[in-house]
Amino acid sequence: MTISKQFIRWTLMAVLGLSWPAAGLLAQSKLSIDKVYSAYLRNSGTIMAKGQIKGYFFLYMSDKIDRHTNEYTLQILDENLNKVQSIKFEDSKKLSLLESAYNGNSISFLFKNEDNKTLDMKIYDFDGKLKYTYSREFDRKTDELMKQYATLHTDEGMNKNVFDIGDEGYVSVLPMRDGKQRTYEVDYYGSDSKKQWTYVPNDDAEKYAMAEYLGCTDSLIVLEVLKKNKTLGTDFSSHLVGINFITKKKQFEIDGSNDQYNIVPSGVVSMDSGKLMLMASYYDKNQNIVKDFSRGLAIYEITTSGKVLTKTYNTWAGDIARYLPTNSKGKIDDVGYLYIHKLIQTPDKRLFVVGEGYKRQANAAGIAVNTLSILAGGGTTSMGNTKIVITDLVMMEFNSKYKVTNATIYDKTKNTAIASNISDYNSQHLLAELLKAMGAFDYAFTTGESDNSNFAVCYSDWERSAEYHGQTFNAIRFNGKKFTTDKIELKSKASMMHVFPAKGGSIMIMEYFRKDKRLDFRLEKLG
Amino acid sequence: MAVLQIPGLSIILQPIMRSNIPAYLRHTFVVAVICCFSCPPTHAQEKGTAAHAQEKDFTPAAENTNLLTSLLDQYQQRYKDHLTQLPSTNRKDYEQIYNERWADIKQKFDKKEIYTAADAQEYLDKLVSIIVKANPEIQHYPFQCYFSRSYIPNAAYIGEGIILFDMGLFYRLTDESQAVFVICHEISHYFLHHQENAIEKYVKTINSPEVQAQLRKIKGAEYHQREQLQNLVKGLAFDSRRHSRDHESQADSMAVELMRHTAFALTGATSTLAMLDTVDKDDFDVEGYLQRAFNSSDYPFRKKWLAREEGLLGGHAHLRRDNQDGLADSLKTHPDCLIRIKLITPMVGGGAGRAFVVDSVKFRQLQERCRYEVIEYAYVADGYTQSFWLALELMKERPADAYAVTQAGRVLNGLYKAQKGHTLGKVVELPSPDYPENYNSMLQFVADLHLEDIASISYYFLKAHIPEFSQYELFRKVFEESAKNKMEQD
Repeated sequence: MTISKQFIRWTLMAVLGLSWPAAGLLAQSKLSIDKVYSAYLRNSGTIMAKGQIKGYFFLYMSDKIDRHTNEYTLQILDENLNKVQSIKFEDSKKLSLLESAYNGNSISFLFKNEDNKTLDMKIYDFDGKLKYTYSREFDRKTDELMKQYATLHTDEGMNKNVFDIGDEGYVSVLPMRDGKQRTYEVDYYGSDSKKQWTYVPNDDAEKYAMAEYLGCTDSLIVLEVLKKNKTLGTDFSSHLVGINFITKKKQFEIDGSNDQYNIVPSGVVSMDSGKLMLMASYYDKNQNIVKDFSRGLAIYEITTSGKVLTKTYNTWAGDIARYLPTNSKGKIDDVGYLYIHKLIQTPDKRLFVVGEGYKRQANAAGIAVNTLSILAGGGTTSMGNTKIVITDLVMMEFNSKYKVTNATIYDKTKNTAIASNISDYNSQHLLAELLKAMGAFDYAFTTGESDNSNFAVCYSDWERSAEYHGQTFNAIRFNGKKFTTDKIELKSKASMMHVFPAKGGSIMIMEYFRKDKRLDFRLEKLG
Repeated sequence: MAVLQIPGLSIILQPIMRSNIPAYLRHTFVVAVICCFSCPPTHAQEKGTAAHAQEKDFTPAAENTNLLTSLLDQYQQRYKDHLTQLPSTNRKDYEQIYNERWADIKQKFDKKEIYTAADAQEYLDKLVSIIVKANPEIQHYPFQCYFSRSYIPNAAYIGEGIILFDMGLFYRLTDESQAVFVICHEISHYFLHHQENAIEKYVKTINSPEVQAQLRKIKGAEYHQREQLQNLVKGLAFDSRRHSRDHESQADSMAVELMRHTAFALTGATSTLAMLDTVDKDDFDVEGYLQRAFNSSDYPFRKKWLAREEGLLGGHAHLRRDNQDGLADSLKTHPDCLIRIKLITPMVGGGAGRAFVVDSVKFRQLQERCRYEVIEYAYVADGYTQSFWLALELMKERPADAYAVTQAGRVLNGLYKAQKGHTLGKVVELPSPDYPENYNSMLQFVADLHLEDIASISYYFLKAHIPEFSQYELFRKVFEESAKNKMEQD
């Protein structure tokens, strides 16, 4: 989805501001309640648990207490948009709410207090009573890096930093910077007892490391860590890191160094048996994981202690080419290269992998402009001779032995994501990461039942037909037996219409009616 | 009403709520000037009405749109005349509130909530006529009583001389004396100008030098604005709600006096309030019933259709409603029914008078019809889950009722169509901590169904009833639609 969270925040603030007088009891020349007082929406967002949306929060600045202190009202809405809790508290004027998570018996909120330079994790019970507050300091450099991370695109509605790890509590994964060194820290926050600790990676290679949370088991936090040992001048390497939150130590690290291939993890799935399933692109030992083309997709089964039990390889040129017109470099005819968005394992052990195509094409406008510029005695311009085009969505199916058994291409309207000269000089992997960070892919999110017996992969598209011309929101739904497609045309009687993720299997449709200054939200199930 | 509402603040601090305003809130009127009848009205719940078999399969009455249009024109003129008589001081404030009141009235006509069947209106007019004839002091007050097709057990004076008697209340009554008490209660609100007085009091209060001075002071304050404003609004709300409760007691007393001059039994007053006191209670094991009703060998009922998310955020939370030193009680617009009964019991006395004066047969016939019309109207007014609930209740009580069975299938077909068209959120309610447990369970069932489930459940459910209802035209039509939906999913 191209609609950012910032957009809905802005929309909510703007429309709420307009709607109060209309809804107020006394719009009149004399003073009325709504002319005396307004509450300002400062932040809003989703409350997540196990990767699914369970509710929503709205943080209002509801009163000024003194020069340094505001009163805030934190309103919590459940998955059906019912108001279930309203929490009032006083805090610094410079407070913002970053993210929220839910673990079934408490709700956590990560606040950023710019006065104290602290990140405050507050954990509340269901009655709105504050159970625990955990604070940690941040400095300017950390803050800058966090802001930089905040601009990166994630799947719509997904948390970037805060995650629930079952009944015991929550973790946050924070990027850190010290001079030229970049690393990360994992903070654990107890919710059933007051307990906090921080995991700090400490080997040399981790002087330049970027971590992304992939998932958790009942004892492990699993991260994908991209490392570069600058002092040795080595290339990037990708690692799967398991941190045991019972022992507070690193449980395992898998980087392919003892393997016949190098791997770059795309995702990890926690299996019923307690094992982990890892999907990764794999490379020959002499290949560069940033620049070269992968040989195919590898799927590993790993124990929670990090022991690799099974390794299955699907080559682009052999296995996958049987179902998709693929060349040895992993390029699919008309679709281009594939970026893996999501792994979904169903209760009957089938594995579905959602990928989206991107490819480099000649940029006629860029070539023309650059040619003219050269002929006129100048150099090339910032326009690229090539451009990157986002293509179709691909759904691949793997059997219980992790061999590919089927693949379907879902056609989309191709759209240009990058037309500058960036596309001329970068490898396909870097471009894919750039596209992901920009939010240029059309894939939006996957929603469904918690056991994946029923799920829908959602993406945006643009349609230009005799019947309809405009943006569409689409879903490929698996009902346990077969796939069906669903489409919502985003042009309606409303002045604006947008789709956001919601509870499992549903979406939230927002419609704004400018004339009535009315904002409607409703949940819809995907069919 | 059942909703705790602090005027102003509830809006100020209210976040974006879902666009489907829950049924509980739909009948909430602004400024606590509601002159309705009921004890806290809630969702229509099963209450043991006498089982009367339908004489024939129910067919909804066609609404008389010409009549509705001419009535609306007539009331619009009265509303416009009314506006010209508003005080010049604070006129805009009055106008705004009266405009809102008119918008609400207009909607009742636009949405065809007013029931236009001539025989029903004739019957209601007869009851009103007896009251008016027996009480000369109200003869010069122009008002009209109509049936509303709402399922809510309520009645209300809604302004411009219009009294609405909800069918959801009418079919729960026992006899005419109760119906007459309800009408007398609303006539009293009208006669005593309770709404208009409350509006006047509100406008005068908010524009009074004292309140304006306080508002100015709060506006000028740099800190603690909300706290100060909340205290001010709370005081105003207490006052307003206290008056509202006084109005209810006044209307009860006057209603008994109006009834006293008729031949109706005064005990209708106390028995109606006693009925309303327990109208919320129901023992419908809806989960068990759903499992039985929608289980077929071809498409067995699945436990996951009743699965719910426990905890705070799943829609079924048991929220603690704090009663801070009686705060909630102080903000009620209606006194408890038991208190109301206690207040009027001395006036009612031993209970002379008759339960029926006009026509007991017609009363029963209309009750029967109301039972069905509310289900139909909930559906046509896009309240699919309310209609489904009412149809299930009826079906449980009368398993061989063709309309009840057909309507259950019809709602399922409607859910299918709405989900496919991505408008389901406009016609269904979702589980909420504010709803009764049983209703919530049914909402969860609806929320848990996928498109293919809805199509199959409807098809196999209706198919099992073909032998009984194949002659019922509506049934045949609904079954054909379900078969089409099922085929689409296969």
